[in-house]
Amino acid sequence: MTPPPPLRPTGFLALLGVATALICAALYCVAFVAEPDAVLGIVQKIFYFHVASAIAMMLCLSSGSLLSLVDLVAPSERVDALARAAIETGLIFAVMVLTSGPLWARKSWGAWWTWEPRLTLTLMLLLLATAVTGIRAMAPDGTGRKIAAALASLAAPVAYLIHVAVQKWGGTHPMVLKGGGIQSPGMQWTFRIALLAIFSFAATLWTLRYRQRRLEQRLLNLQLEISAQTVRRSRDGGLT
Amino acid sequence: MLLRLTWLLLQKDLRVAARSREVFGFMLLFALLCVVVFAFGFLREGEAAAAQVPGVLWVTLLFAGTVGLLRLFAAEEEGGTLHLAQRTLAGPHPLLLSKSLMQLIFSGVTTLLLLPVVLVFFDAALVQPAPVLAALALGLVGQAVLGALVAALLVHVRLREVLLPLVLYPLLAPLLIAGVRVTVLAQGNAPAETVDSWLGLMAGYDLVVLATAPWLHARVVEP
Repeated sequence: MTPPPPLRPTGFLALLGVATALICAALYCVAFVAEPDAVLGIVQKIFYFHVASAIAMMLCLSSGSLLSLVDLVAPSERVDALARAAIETGLIFAVMVLTSGPLWARKSWGAWWTWEPRLTLTLMLLLLATAVTGIRAMAPDGTGRKIAAALASLAAPVAYLIHVAVQKWGGTHPMVLKGGGIQSPGMQWTFRIALLAIFSFAATLWTLRYRQRRLEQRLLNLQLEISAQTVRRSRDGGLT
Repeated sequence: MLLRLTWLLLQKDLRVAARSREVFGFMLLFALLCVVVFAFGFLREGEAAAAQVPGVLWVTLLFAGTVGLLRLFAAEEEGGTLHLAQRTLAGPHPLLLSKSLMQLIFSGVTTLLLLPVVLVFFDAALVQPAPVLAALALGLVGQAVLGALVAALLVHVRLREVLLPLVLYPLLAPLLIAGVRVTVLAQGNAPAETVDSWLGLMAGYDLVVLATAPWLHARVVEP
């Protein structure tokens, strides 16, 4: 058996550098470049990280679901590691969205939480992703991957239906946040940089977790190989 | 072949259920208990009890259904016959189908017995019974098929009693939201289009589940 080429951390370290620089730049822009909102005041600055995290969460979870489907159709350790890392990264951003969201909501809507469609959907996604991640830990060896992949691929169409349902349900509530509304160039540029910063941060976490999973898989395969060799050697040698 | 094997498996499950009288009785008792507990929790003096009916009804059915789902594969698991039932001549489909039907029978009978009880306890009347019955049928089908799928996936998983609701309830959220809305609307004189659009959502949900569940089940249990 030829050993697989080593997983070099070059790409990961480059991503980490880019993400660090961009997050510093975004923090600077949020603090000094973007003007405070005329109506909402300084609390509106949560927007830059909040919305970017929400987009990153949706991207991570939907690609996690899609990759799970791919792994179910054509099983591959690489795709499994990618899918798993995507869902876990999405989970982190879901927590970020649900932490920054209420802080903003308290100031602009006067309540920590409302059953606004987007909030409800995010909460449901957080619960689903947590459950799928938890099942892997609880399933006996080898089966957790398939179970988690099946549930994760089912979660995407169901999430769409949850979205439709909570939209219709939320239709009875008057408070619906309207997106957009940032006009000044300072705010627009800040949002763009924050978006890039969060995306590169998401990519960094994703890569980190993916590498860790791949190394785990390799270690496991090596262990299997060694125990198989040991069995073979004791069988051949034990007969003499 | 598929239908014949499904019928055989279902017959076996019904016979086991009739002889042991285990799950169904507890499911019914648990549903009744839920209604009582919700009455303690939600009824206020001076407020109409009837307003609580939609929530109480649907959440009770969700909880009682879970009791059935947690025992759905108990016979196969305890008898060690699960891997045999998964490998019929028609593949693993008869197993999922028969278990879904089994759950549907249990939850359907529970619902038929529970609905009058809830209406009496909460002093309510159904102004429009047809949409509520349609919503209950669609909701129970979705819960049975998706529930049987999740139960089948989690058979060997540790802490599955905890994990099953954790996975199932968020997945069932559209049915729960829509079912409660239809029941609320049917208590008054809501326009038919609004009710129909909610029922359409439930039907769409059931279609998605019916189309994907057998495939996912087969992908996971087949070696």
